[in-house]
Amino acid sequence: MVHPDLGSQMVNVCSMMLLVTSFAIVAQRRLSACVDLFAVQSVFLAVTAALVAFLTGIHHIYVAAALTILIKAIIIPMILKKVIERLNVQREVAFVINIPPSLLICGALVILAFSVTEPVASLGFLLTKDSLAVALAIVLIGFFTMIARKKAVTQVVGFLMVENGLFLGATAAAYGMPLIVELGVFFDVLVAGLIIGIYTHRLQDAFDSVDVSKLTGLKE
Amino acid sequence: MFDPAVIVPPALISLVTAHVAGALAPVVWPWSDRVKNWLTHGAAVAACTAGVLIGIGGLLASDPLAFSLPSTIPLLHIQLRLDPLSAFFVLIISVSGVAVSIYALGYVREFYGRHSISALGALYHGFLLSMILVVTADDGFFFLIVWEIMSLVSYLLVVTEHEKAETRYAGFFYLVMTHVGTAFIVMTYLVFYQQTGSFTFDSFRHPGEPLPDGFRTVAFVAALIGFGAKAGIVPLHVWLPYAHPAAPSHISALMSGVMIKTAIYGLIRVYFDFLGGAFPWWWGFAVLAVGAVSALLGVMYALMEHDLKSLLAYHSVENIGIILLGIGAGMIFQSYGLSHLAALGLLAALYHTMNHAMFKGLLFMGAGSLLYATHTRNMEEYGGLIRTMPWTAFFFLVGAISISALPPTNGFVSEWLTFQSLFLSFMLPDPLMKIVIPIGAAMLALTGALAVACFAKAFGISFLAMPRSPHAKHAKEVPMPMRIGMGALAAVCVALGLAPMVVIPMIDRVTSPFTGTRLAQSAVSESGWTLTPMGGEFASISTPVLMLLLTVTILVVLLGVVLIAGTLKRRFHKTWGCGITLQPRMEYTATGFAQPIRQVFSTIYRPTVKVEKEMLEESRYFAKRMRFEVHIEPTFQRYLYDPVVRAFNLLANRLRVVQAGSLHLYLAYIFLTLIALLLWVG
Repeated sequence: MVHPDLGSQMVNVCSMMLLVTSFAIVAQRRLSACVDLFAVQSVFLAVTAALVAFLTGIHHIYVAAALTILIKAIIIPMILKKVIERLNVQREVAFVINIPPSLLICGALVILAFSVTEPVASLGFLLTKDSLAVALAIVLIGFFTMIARKKAVTQVVGFLMVENGLFLGATAAAYGMPLIVELGVFFDVLVAGLIIGIYTHRLQDAFDSVDVSKLTGLKE
Repeated sequence: MFDPAVIVPPALISLVTAHVAGALAPVVWPWSDRVKNWLTHGAAVAACTAGVLIGIGGLLASDPLAFSLPSTIPLLHIQLRLDPLSAFFVLIISVSGVAVSIYALGYVREFYGRHSISALGALYHGFLLSMILVVTADDGFFFLIVWEIMSLVSYLLVVTEHEKAETRYAGFFYLVMTHVGTAFIVMTYLVFYQQTGSFTFDSFRHPGEPLPDGFRTVAFVAALIGFGAKAGIVPLHVWLPYAHPAAPSHISALMSGVMIKTAIYGLIRVYFDFLGGAFPWWWGFAVLAVGAVSALLGVMYALMEHDLKSLLAYHSVENIGIILLGIGAGMIFQSYGLSHLAALGLLAALYHTMNHAMFKGLLFMGAGSLLYATHTRNMEEYGGLIRTMPWTAFFFLVGAISISALPPTNGFVSEWLTFQSLFLSFMLPDPLMKIVIPIGAAMLALTGALAVACFAKAFGISFLAMPRSPHAKHAKEVPMPMRIGMGALAAVCVALGLAPMVVIPMIDRVTSPFTGTRLAQSAVSESGWTLTPMGGEFASISTPVLMLLLTVTILVVLLGVVLIAGTLKRRFHKTWGCGITLQPRMEYTATGFAQPIRQVFSTIYRPTVKVEKEMLEESRYFAKRMRFEVHIEPTFQRYLYDPVVRAFNLLANRLRVVQAGSLHLYLAYIFLTLIALLLWVG
């Protein structure tokens, strides 16, 4: 049996790695690298989940971890890469807000997340209690990515980061959701990934670009 | 032998089963339209027959019957309660439902291949079932849910022929108005909820401590507006003449005949059951005034309509007004503790509610038959249809006599009772009321007279004289199921008129819990043939005797004819036309028929007349061509609705700045809200 303190430290390290990859995605200029980084983040998420499963002995989290690897680290990145290749979109990420200010804002968001969850975390008794702040920070950064990046592909990545953050949060706050809910969520994410992939195609057809700011023209 | 507690539960189960089966059967299998029609409307007939049993059972039961289903949603209790009031409305819905469903078997043939019979049938079942649930729901939350289902389903039915722009407009108008109404009903229930902490009707009925006066007033006003929008009181009536004509005719018959009655149910439920006891005097007065204005304006606008179904829709406004006159009178009497008179007023209102459901259903089916046969709703294109469609003409005539309140039909009895309850206002202690209520009676009298004029026009222009258009010339009598449906309601109309002594004790069971008195003994004479609302010394009437007198008079006249002329043989000759061949163009038009009334009431109608003449060049005394146009001012739309709509559009335009169309901006809105909430709450 692993010492509880050590276990808690390991979970914290892993969830911190998730946060680090989030920052890396925000700082990344190339689209395909963004997708790769997302896959890496998903792997860290799966490792965190597996660690929690191992430390607590709740077995169904293993299933969730395995699904994370399968769907988020393999299938969805594959779809996104295909989209990037087939659409022959420019490899550059287009910005609404440039990288340096983006990183500063993300830093502020992390501080916000920690300060907001502080009263909750200090009451917690689970070994994952510190991960809650990290989870919230990832959710906020993912959301910010959706706002600050122009292309549909980066928006998908942002959306999936939010999802990763939520998953981490669920694991951290309550050792995961019931398996049936997890399965439902995975299915949702997969469907969302597919739909957004198709939507990106349509966008390309209609506007010759995947820049969602062109959608302004659809306004009545 | 007829034990309600034994009959009702299985009847309820078969009603629900028949509705569900009838709704789903045509959806699951691709039968032909014909089979679908028979399946779905056959099931509707079965379900409504079960509904009749439930209604009768509920009226005869000594205690209210209750049913409930478990629910996992907080605050929501799926509870049904069948007290006499609910049972009475279930009976009305179901009797109309049986007749209309039979009628639909024929009418829906019109839609074969053009519209989905499955969808029409499924919505039809949903509509009937939701109305039954509305009048039996025993929980505010559940009531609102089924009320909303009823509104949405009826909206979908109104837009059945959505390929027409005017139908879509009518549907949208209806949707907006009904939701305004629902908002006010929600407000009514929230007033009760904040006092009792529960949405069950039982807690509304017996709140822990009585509601403060201010809250009672809010509940009263909100219920009047909320249910009034559905019932179609002036000035919330504007949607009726759009929505009712746009719907398929069997749906119009249900909407106009039955659905707007659920609002009457709601009003009586809230006023007499929840707010019960002594009302402030002005409540009853407000209801009475709204009723009088609705009745008069309803019939006046009806007179100017040439679209037969719009005309009937305006008559619904009128009849809702008459019903409210009865309810208002009952409330005023209740305020002054005259419970016997209060019972009479309420009884008159409920009797008229039932009668209106029957004859308005009948008339809408009649209008539907004309539409089926001629494919137009414009009366100016009818004419002479009594020869080609004798059955429809006869049934329409019965309905027209009923709605004009002529004996021996049901409309006469209930309007007579309403008059009686208004006349008896001289027993009130308050001199103001003594003066004001007879004015209501006078307005009712004027309404009655105008209604007769209106149906003289509707029947005369549509069925008599010569066909005014090729449509009318080539019209054929409608199929058998449609005739049976109309005939059934025509028979009910006459029966309800001839047998008030059976109907009144039945309605008495509904009103007695609210007023605390029973009328049945005193309102019907000992012999059982005469109505005596106040024990006989004030006024009494006997419709069977009237019927007998009418029959005898007709026989005497015929006898006289035979005696004087010596024969009853009919002789056929042409009408003398001053030597010219008669043409349809020489006939009185509907516009011309209504002209004197338009002149007399021109202050209200404010008509705009446009005449264009083109003279012969040789002489200015001979017109080559003339064009005459007359429009009446849509007062309520122009001065009440248009400003509101304009104000909303202006506001919406201001707010459009927020809707920039940029995905990033929308995301930023959500993001900033989230951050603000985190900072504020955390």
